Amino acid sequence: MGPKPPPELGSVAVSSGAPVLNLVTGRMSTARSDDQAFEDLFSTEYRRVVGIANRVLADPHEAEDVAQEVFIDFHRLHSASAQYAPAWLHRAAAHTALNRLRGAKRRQRRELAQAAEEGEHSIDPQQQVELDEDRVRVRKALARLAPKPAAVLVLRASGLSYSEVAQALGVGIGQVGTLLRRAETSLRKEVTSGTSN
Amino acid sequence: MVDDRDSIPAADARHLEGCAECQARQGAASDDARAITSLLAVPEPKINLAAALDRVRSAPEAKPVFGFRLPLVRPLSRPAMLGFAAALAAIALFATVIANDYLFNYSPNSVTAVPVTVADMQSLSQLSAYGSVTWTTKPQLQLVASAAEAQSLTGLKPPVVSNLPAGVSTNVTYAAMTQAIAVFTFDAAQAAASVSADGKSLPALPAGMDGAKLTVTVGPAVGEVFGNLNLNAAPGSSSSSGIPAADLPQLVLIESNAPSVTSTQVTTKQLEDYLLSISGLSPELTKAIKAIGNPSSTLPIPIPIQYATSTTVSINGNPGVALGDNTGLGSGVIWVQHGELYAIAGTVKQSDVLNIADNLH
Repeated sequence: MGPKPPPELGSVAVSSGAPVLNLVTGRMSTARSDDQAFEDLFSTEYRRVVGIANRVLADPHEAEDVAQEVFIDFHRLHSASAQYAPAWLHRAAAHTALNRLRGAKRRQRRELAQAAEEGEHSIDPQQQVELDEDRVRVRKALARLAPKPAAVLVLRASGLSYSEVAQALGVGIGQVGTLLRRAETSLRKEVTSGTSN
Repeated sequence: MVDDRDSIPAADARHLEGCAECQARQGAASDDARAITSLLAVPEPKINLAAALDRVRSAPEAKPVFGFRLPLVRPLSRPAMLGFAAALAAIALFATVIANDYLFNYSPNSVTAVPVTVADMQSLSQLSAYGSVTWTTKPQLQLVASAAEAQSLTGLKPPVVSNLPAGVSTNVTYAAMTQAIAVFTFDAAQAAASVSADGKSLPALPAGMDGAKLTVTVGPAVGEVFGNLNLNAAPGSSSSSGIPAADLPQLVLIESNAPSVTSTQVTTKQLEDYLLSISGLSPELTKAIKAIGNPSSTLPIPIPIQYATSTTVSINGNPGVALGDNTGLGSGVIWVQHGELYAIAGTVKQSDVLNIADNLH
């Protein structure tokens, strides 16, 4: 058997000290307290995961729902010590939120929620209305994009570096710039077509 | 041209310093990125981290039947896999039910297929209400770097596949599972409570069976997974939550010490009568249970008949059960040889699987 390539996103860490899959709980775990590791991971990544989902949904409550779902899924199936944990969570947040965005009923509910969203009382009502309309238009356009361009835009807009976006999406870092440029162009087209309709 | 300066290779960064044209393009890219970020801008959400962590921690655990989940397959990932997982989870149950004689000591040297339906599995799952499962030794599957490491952990030498079918990756991942021991304890009080809670019509626990224990020992086992195993697959879009199933391996080979079952207080007749008295079992399953010729040494392989068909085959002179799903997209074979249980399955033709099985060394 030849040498193993270095672990990357989507690969399995191997060798002694590697994650152990507990067949009873279904969780990967290591000798380190998985509970503590999970708490550390949660503290580090939860805000970011909510932020990614909120970037897509523009609804902090639903974004928290998404983040909860993502962390629960992760906790059930993976070790919090896994190197791929942040990348997995970022990607899960983007895709789960985008899936929700594409649900028609959700979208309607979210639009209503947005209208009532607090936190921006400092701007005048006319500005608020325009801001809400812009957000709705952009999210509708985002929902029409293919999953990968949509995810790359959301992750980058959420403050992830090119390296982090690459890890989350399982692409080479050299591809991120190109993916972003194409995605930006696609989003602009969708926003424009949505406006002209 | 990228808008993240940190990700620009050093040579390109040096070039950028002295190239007005590239600086202009880089500036335009950054402006575009800022504009999009602005379009997607939202107020920062207010988060109570401690409360959020509590909510996640209080989420119920996924509870597979008998606390057992197939390794390498995400729960609820694919209907066929779900059916197959449920069927496999019932192997130990069947083994206990069909094993021979009073206070049996069961260890199979052969296999046979019994057809099960999803309805059967649902009916059988009611049995879990009759008691509780505790693991005196929990099974753990560890992915290891080499065949030698798998052997050192389990004492089993991973078989060598000499004739991998064309198209199957030679990339192999080894796994080692330590021996696991589970004890199922019949509990009349629990059964009664469950019946009254669910309003189900479970047959009453026979007298004398309360407190009886079935001890099931499985493993150790070694596994070889061919293909680009993607156990930690990040999410895509194939499920409602956006979390896809892990990429399924192309071929999996498992060698395990044959499972064994011992019991206290329970007779085979009691268990068999008990099983057959459960409503909802299909006639095919009932017939198959009664028809097993030598129950003391035969491992029944539940075959989910909605998803797979089975045939009896011979592997190096040992009877085996070959599986092929109805789509023709996958196949597998399971047999017992020299006291070891072998299973091979993958997205290959059944003839390929049988050829591998016949030529393991």
